[in-house]
Amino acid sequence: MLNYLIRRLLYMVPILLGVMFLTFVLFNVVNTPRQMAYRIRGPKASAQDISNWLQNHGYLDQEGREVPPYLNIAVKRTPSFPWVRVEVGKHPFDSLYFRSMKRFATLDLGTSFATDEPVLAMLKRGAVPSLCITLPAFVVGLFLAISTALLLVFVRDSALDRWGTVLCVASMSIPITVYVIYGQLIAANLFHYFPAFGFNMEGFSTARFIALPVAIMILSGLGADVRMYRAIFLEEVRADYIRTAQAKGASHARVLLVHMLKNGAIALITLVVAALPFLIMGTLVLESFFGIPGLGNLMTNAIQTSDFGVIQADVYLGSLLYLFGLLLTDLCYAAADPRIRLQ
Amino acid sequence: MNGKRFFSLLTALALLAALAGCDNNPHPRALREKRGDGKPWVVSYRAIGDDPRSLDPQVSYDTMGNAVISQLYESLLQYSPFKTDPYELEPCLAEGMPRRIQAPDGTETYEFHIKRGVFFHDDPCFPKGRGRELTAADFVYTFQRIADPAVECPVLSTLQEFVAGLGPAYLQAKEAAKAGGTFDYAKPTGAITVVDDHTFRLNLLKPYPQIQYWLAMPFTAPVPREAVEYYDGKNGRYLFKFHPVGCGPYRLAEWSRGRLIRLARHEHYHATRFPKGGWPAGVDAACRPLAGAELPLVDEVQFAVIREAIPAWLLFRQGYLDRSGVGKDVFNSVITAGQTLSEAFRARGVQLFRDVEPGTFYSQFNMDDPVLGKNIRLRQALSTVYNQSRANEIFGNGVDIKAEQLLPPGVIGHDPGFKNPYRTENVDQARALLAQAGYPGGIDPQTGQPLTLTLDVVAGNAESRQRAEFDQIQIQQLGPRCKIEENTWPRFQDKQMRGLFQMNSGSGWNADYPDPENFFFLFYSKNTPPQGSNYARFSNPEFDRLFEQMATMDNGPARLALIRRMNAILVEQCPIILTFHPVAFTLSQPWMPRLLDNAMLANGGGLKYTALDPALRARKIREWNRTPSWPLWALAALGAGAVGYAVARARRSNL
Amino acid sequence: MPPWLNNLLVLTGCAATAWLLRATLFTERSRRATRRLRRDRVGLVCAATVTLFLLAGISDCLLVAPRTSFLDTAFRNVPLEEGYSAPMARTTFDERAPKPLKGFHLLGTDLLGKDVLLQTLKGCKTALIIGGLTTLLYLPIGALLGILGGYFRRWVDDVVQYLYSTMASIPGILLLVAVMMMLGKGLDRMAVALSLTAWIGLCRLVRGETFRQASRPYVDAARALGQSAPRIILFHILPNVMHLVVINAILGFSGLVLTETILSYLGVGAPVGTASWGIMIDSARMELSREPAVWWPLTAATGALFLLVLSLNLLGDALRRAFDPKAA
Repeated sequence: MLNYLIRRLLYMVPILLGVMFLTFVLFNVVNTPRQMAYRIRGPKASAQDISNWLQNHGYLDQEGREVPPYLNIAVKRTPSFPWVRVEVGKHPFDSLYFRSMKRFATLDLGTSFATDEPVLAMLKRGAVPSLCITLPAFVVGLFLAISTALLLVFVRDSALDRWGTVLCVASMSIPITVYVIYGQLIAANLFHYFPAFGFNMEGFSTARFIALPVAIMILSGLGADVRMYRAIFLEEVRADYIRTAQAKGASHARVLLVHMLKNGAIALITLVVAALPFLIMGTLVLESFFGIPGLGNLMTNAIQTSDFGVIQADVYLGSLLYLFGLLLTDLCYAAADPRIRLQ
Repeated sequence: MNGKRFFSLLTALALLAALAGCDNNPHPRALREKRGDGKPWVVSYRAIGDDPRSLDPQVSYDTMGNAVISQLYESLLQYSPFKTDPYELEPCLAEGMPRRIQAPDGTETYEFHIKRGVFFHDDPCFPKGRGRELTAADFVYTFQRIADPAVECPVLSTLQEFVAGLGPAYLQAKEAAKAGGTFDYAKPTGAITVVDDHTFRLNLLKPYPQIQYWLAMPFTAPVPREAVEYYDGKNGRYLFKFHPVGCGPYRLAEWSRGRLIRLARHEHYHATRFPKGGWPAGVDAACRPLAGAELPLVDEVQFAVIREAIPAWLLFRQGYLDRSGVGKDVFNSVITAGQTLSEAFRARGVQLFRDVEPGTFYSQFNMDDPVLGKNIRLRQALSTVYNQSRANEIFGNGVDIKAEQLLPPGVIGHDPGFKNPYRTENVDQARALLAQAGYPGGIDPQTGQPLTLTLDVVAGNAESRQRAEFDQIQIQQLGPRCKIEENTWPRFQDKQMRGLFQMNSGSGWNADYPDPENFFFLFYSKNTPPQGSNYARFSNPEFDRLFEQMATMDNGPARLALIRRMNAILVEQCPIILTFHPVAFTLSQPWMPRLLDNAMLANGGGLKYTALDPALRARKIREWNRTPSWPLWALAALGAGAVGYAVARARRSNL
Repeated sequence: MPPWLNNLLVLTGCAATAWLLRATLFTERSRRATRRLRRDRVGLVCAATVTLFLLAGISDCLLVAPRTSFLDTAFRNVPLEEGYSAPMARTTFDERAPKPLKGFHLLGTDLLGKDVLLQTLKGCKTALIIGGLTTLLYLPIGALLGILGGYFRRWVDDVVQYLYSTMASIPGILLLVAVMMMLGKGLDRMAVALSLTAWIGLCRLVRGETFRQASRPYVDAARALGQSAPRIILFHILPNVMHLVVINAILGFSGLVLTETILSYLGVGAPVGTASWGIMIDSARMELSREPAVWWPLTAATGALFLLVLSLNLLGDALRRAFDPKAA
């Protein structure tokens, strides 16, 4: 077991390295340090101002030369064979890439390029509001989806089942932005039950801020979930053990809610546990529409302002969580299903 | 059993709704209930488009930062609140306007006396946490900060040309940095000469009347050295830019990133008072009782960070924001054909204000481009055809002012009667010019193909996309083809800096200060990137000569003549297509009469002069936010129906 | 590109796709599935709807003159208006100064006065290009890598697994945004970006199925007969996993069209001047908050998008039912 765990953890390392390399390359090409400086210093910044910023943030060395992005080596053309000569200096790995890798290896998430604030502090601050939205939405959504799926399985092959499934597919076919636009307009503008915007941690009545986004999040995800759980339960309901249980005289409700749910749960675990770590990442569209200062909002903002420091840290965190979710799934799977052994 | 769960869920939902039901107020509670003297504590609720990047007055150069910084910091001078045509400066931290001393060697000196009894905010960085008095030494320190490369002051490159000592100090610090050193704050820069504790002189290298405007901006606002050194980001302390300490009318009470910026009144603020007179007749009734009153008039200001336009408007409609701009999307419901307030909003008691902002927008030609740069007629043709009136109708509800000259209204030298011969929007005239340019019908005679122009734009949101498409239609109706190149803003700026564009659109300049120098310098050849912001790369010897002469002159008929001539050169040469001067409509709730009409103070400095009536606000908000109960019943009925169906079916079917 | 060459290319592409679909779905092996599919009424209706969308898209791809498509000619009598106008209205949608319209617009006009019906129909082409081109790009990669990993196992499988685990670990939407920003705007580039994330799911699915197939007796038999690995993969395994690939592609198609709306929201969607549903929906954020609301561009775009995605999903379900009778 311990052996397995260690192996799995070691397996994560090359994947994380790959992820970090990919994101670094992508965003470095997209957004050169100079462009970032323009963005941060604003439209009226002078050239002196830009080079100052670059120097203070380690993109220019003290002599005013640009720090190379990948390897600190010079490739020079030569007149004779082999036409190019690679000059390796004293510090071939003194580059932007290796500097940031060094930081991440020591679990230092760095600072935001826009404000110089430590990213870790920003993430800590955003995690709670994000969880305030995603956790209730996840729990209530899961409960609703399973109940509805059970209901559909219960009445399977009826008109309700057929139209329910079509309705699920239909609700999946509407983009989330449309849900949010209508949700906010109708619920906040017409009914005045909840604030249209904003978020305050004020104990119990924080609920009034999260009610609307949570409802929209549940609604937009319900169709896909119901459809999936229905498929899982349908597979179970045809299994022999159900017939056996019925033959033994168990009531419908008992067969459905105890026997089937328990067996179906094993399949559910893979889906649910893998999703758990991602709750902390929040939601991109919802949070910026409702002004929830969570991680999704942080991310949307970072994308829009090209804050590479935050984006890179967030990608790192996202991959970590994803891999962690996979590991967790395997462990839970083994715990729930005695037939599976970890080696 | 299944049904039971549904019922419990429904009850929970209903409970939740009932619990929160009657309250959709998004704001947190005020800091206090009552003021020290027993009067009610008054809070104003505002929206801000984003978190400021920095609240360091020497660094921040954006609207978000300015909106907050001008509450926390004050400078030697300020814009006189009621004088707008032309704008005028008055003393703020200074006792009076400075004495200007001209030396025979061409240098100049301004002598300032600082008001006595001006205190910094109370803060732990001071001994016993009590804010200390402002002295001349603080200005020495502030000008040292401007020159410090580690501070990154964005206006250093402009100021070092005129203010003595800044340039050498900057270069020295750069040299020191190579050896791992930092700026030497023990060594005076020579910018300021201290006479006594409350008197100092500012030394200029050459005459520069515009320096007074810089002294009214936050860049030159005094900061206490104790605070900068104490808030260094170490050991759990904030960075100074996140924990400002100044001597403005408000202090920063709370800053929850992405959510709220809360300011509370500075208890020892006495630098300025409400003017004793001079206001326009329209606001006489509201201003008279306030004459000579202590500032600020409102005790607490909450800036809610709202990045999207729709929620900000929703909150204003509900009464939870005291002020709002009018976006083009709600324009028709708010403003009538005659540009007055619509009936529905007038009935609510909302007031409407129309402000011409001191700015100009334009599209630029790259004068280094082989096709456009050499061909003056082609530029004139493209300028002539661009239908700004139509664009105003589509994108600005016809309220923006079509620009025919570079200088916007309110800036000295703006000529209200001026008609630009190349902004007639006449397609036939443009076709004739195009034929003279050598492209009859937009066809390049050498290749027989249509002339293709590339237009760089910043396209991120829906409106910028639509504007780009509109620009494309404008050029193509003349004959040439137009290729749109979409960029992120940094890439757009990068291309502008390097000159890697043919035409671009959406550029503009908002006045730092209302002087023509602040606009014409955009076309001064020595300001070509990387030195400055002459992105059109316009270079005209006569224009340069006139600019150098005009820049340092005092206002008068001679200066005006130069300004007119410079305008004529720009119009004839057409390095840009002038588009519009922005006009903003602002709505104020009935409980907050707007007293000032000053565009230079609109985004910040005017806040301390604002008063409001919280009792009226509470009443109106109750009135505007009634909650209906039928949706709850409908929801309950729907749920009950679904459960009923399932139960009924369960009775008669087999699993 | 001259119109005739363009048309030839488009038609060849269509014919090739149709032939490929026929070759995979209507083989000897899947005769029973086809029979089942023919009885599935919902599936047939959906197939017909999807075909209609395809026809609309193709009609905008066929040119009659440079820069004028078949669809444009069909709408040549519909003029450009001054600004918004409601569906079937007589005047522009402007309370302050309504102007009479130059023509009739069934679904109204948008901000720049363009006919919404035409824009919606043109959106089919954009959706078709995004969905089709992406599928064309990622399908071979995903299927090939999946089969290779599943068949050869050992280090080949390790490499394939490493590739898709790494790609899957990066939050998908971030990867898309970054690639879009890097490549610049354009439908072809968007297809490249989308295909970078889309192949992962398919690869996993195919790899799993190949695992299963490779341990079946018929593969052993083929091996015993001395057939080479490429031959076994091409003639024995591929035909047995092809239906999965097709179903995945059809379901994936709808996902791609939906992703385009999120990309448009983030400002990296289709380029200026392209009629796309994502852009219409993104513009509607502001249009809806107008008073009175401008609802028709959003309704038209959402309606078209909804219908296409719904039909594709239901068609995918129908196919799955037809091929996997146990689940039906």
